Amino acid sequence: MCGIAGFTLRAELTEETRAEEGARLRRMVASLRHRGPDALQGMLREGVALGHARLSILDREGGSQPMGDERTGVTIVFNGEIFNHEDLRGRLAGEYEFRTRSDTEVILASFLKRGIDCVHEFNGQFAFAIHDPRDGSLWLARDRFGKQPLFYVHDSKGFSFASEAKALFAGGVVEPRLDGRALMETIHLWGPTSTRSAFEGVRALAPGSFAHHRDGSLAVRRYWDLDVSDERIDRGLSLDRATDELEGLLVDAVRLRLRADVPVTAYLSGGLDSSLLCALAQEQLGGKLQTFSVAFSQNRYDERGFQASVAAALGTEHHEVSVDDADIGDVLPSVVEHAETTLLRTAPAPMLKLSSLVRSHGTKVVLTGEGADETFLGYDLFKETAIRQFWARQPASTGRPMLFGRMYPYLSVSKQSPQMLRQFFGLGLDEPHALDFSHRVRWTNSGRVSRFLAPGFVERLEGWDPVRELLESVPEVVRSWRPLARAQYLEVHTLLSQYLLSSQGDRMLMANSVEGRFPFLDHRVAELSARLPDSMKLRGLTEKLILRRIAKGRVPPQVWNRTKFPFRAPIAAALIGPRAPSWTRELLSRDAVDAVGVFDGGKAERLLAKLSALQGLPSEADDMALAALATTQLLAQRFLSERQIPDCDLNAVEVQVA
Amino acid sequence: MNAATAVRSFISETFFVDDFAEEDSFLQNGIIDSMGMMELVAFIESTYGFKVGDEELIPENLDSLSNVCRFVERKRSQAA
Repeated sequence: MCGIAGFTLRAELTEETRAEEGARLRRMVASLRHRGPDALQGMLREGVALGHARLSILDREGGSQPMGDERTGVTIVFNGEIFNHEDLRGRLAGEYEFRTRSDTEVILASFLKRGIDCVHEFNGQFAFAIHDPRDGSLWLARDRFGKQPLFYVHDSKGFSFASEAKALFAGGVVEPRLDGRALMETIHLWGPTSTRSAFEGVRALAPGSFAHHRDGSLAVRRYWDLDVSDERIDRGLSLDRATDELEGLLVDAVRLRLRADVPVTAYLSGGLDSSLLCALAQEQLGGKLQTFSVAFSQNRYDERGFQASVAAALGTEHHEVSVDDADIGDVLPSVVEHAETTLLRTAPAPMLKLSSLVRSHGTKVVLTGEGADETFLGYDLFKETAIRQFWARQPASTGRPMLFGRMYPYLSVSKQSPQMLRQFFGLGLDEPHALDFSHRVRWTNSGRVSRFLAPGFVERLEGWDPVRELLESVPEVVRSWRPLARAQYLEVHTLLSQYLLSSQGDRMLMANSVEGRFPFLDHRVAELSARLPDSMKLRGLTEKLILRRIAKGRVPPQVWNRTKFPFRAPIAAALIGPRAPSWTRELLSRDAVDAVGVFDGGKAERLLAKLSALQGLPSEADDMALAALATTQLLAQRFLSERQIPDCDLNAVEVQVA
Repeated sequence: MNAATAVRSFISETFFVDDFAEEDSFLQNGIIDSMGMMELVAFIESTYGFKVGDEELIPENLDSLSNVCRFVERKRSQAA
């Protein structure tokens, strides 16, 4: 995994612009050093500047970037992995003379043969830029689910791109300002929508899309999207055959992701998905697997018993990092520095500690279980959707909403009467065909954070509704899908791509130069899952049925029997009270909050007072509001003022002028 | 302070809501969540000195400012 950056150059290079643009590229690449500390390189030539920060995993000798084709001059910078590169290489060998073993060169060769449509052939996680001097084009592309990030700025001055927004600021291509709409999206949907970043003028290339820049104009196109429509379902497929097919595919998805010139390890949460993944990896590694886990000092978040039982059963070399409340508060500034967005949760913080643990053991690649819950209907949200649909058919029923009590035995809702459950979960029950039926309860809850915003901030966005905007961007065809399929679509496009894979995924991994690999997000797995009826995934209130069948006998029974346990971390306990980190006193004061102007200083003060005086657990709403407030204040502090890049980083970048 | 004023100010201060109508459903409008309901019940119990029974935890008693006020009035008159 790596970092990439670059920009177009309009005028011919002169002695003076050469030095100036070279320095700009140097600053951009240096600011991405955490993503790729093994080599920092850039090149400047007619029309373009391309830079690369390398984390070497494959072909450590030959895979240096930017990489060009000598005959055509077509040149690439690439972040990620193409897992089927060996097969593609075999197919291309007659037409292209390979000089290296790297997957980078496979992209280059594929592009030379097929143009940008080559993306359809790649099984992997990628963000790349290709400059084609033959027609002056600059192409950007991003993998199907958005595992690798890619941002760009396109304005009258030109076109620039980078793996992280900080490189665009380091390059001076845009003035950092918080984007109010992105913030509103984040506090409703957990992350900005797919084309926005937290900053004005900095756009994200949406997952599954490519962009083409030429002669000052930019065209963006989606080449892949999740299709879980009814037409995809293969009604003739038996559960036994489907299980065999999925098992074979998962084994292969893991096999492809174990290929590397360095050891591949795994994250182990103690839940079904990561345990299954570790089991599959250990079968192929013959006992050499190392596993890494987060343990919490607070019992209500901790899963260490399950982790230990899986590690023991599989015989892995197991490592854990123990995280307490104070650790979360201490690392939150670093979390925001890397996530580059407001957050509603602090769960990325333990993930940052975890990638640091991986790195401290001298390893830099991990398998991780993201995507199984979205693909195989693991989340409570899907069960809620199923129950609410069932209930909407008989809205007067008092028995149907009681299913929520069975689903949430640990929540206060379960103690409530059917009438109360109706008021809470019945939101939108009268519109069972609405596109957002599945997400309305969640989005209404998280959207309550907006009541803490400063009046001046809200005024500027008067009349603009982030949920409506998201729903309007969903392709028309999705509206006709069955409710669970619509829920999956929304979940993949919001929570998975815009939060789990980014703020809690790539950014927390790359902060410590660790590459994550996601076998459940092999697009072949998603495409097979689309052929299976929902009942093979969610049966009654049992989630991920088909994965359980594959996991049976592979993971300890207590893990096999577990229901989904949400990965969470403390918020108020980490930021309030005698052990609160020192930055909170400065940044969360009424004046500091008013100075940033996003949240209301008076309300922030009252929220902090309320949480300080609290006996017992904070409410969900207050916890989320505090997380949003604290991370927004950190975001403003880190990004809205000028930042010096250390000389040692700048000097580490080699820039070649062609 | 009458019940309407007291409950309104409790809700404004506890849940950071600036403005809502007397008939607005707390739950359907996202003014408070299910956990907030428990906080509201605790407030009513401690302020007005009566217990809210399980069978009384229903929207007709609790899910809007006007419903809460009617409920409180009725309970107090029963006690008197």
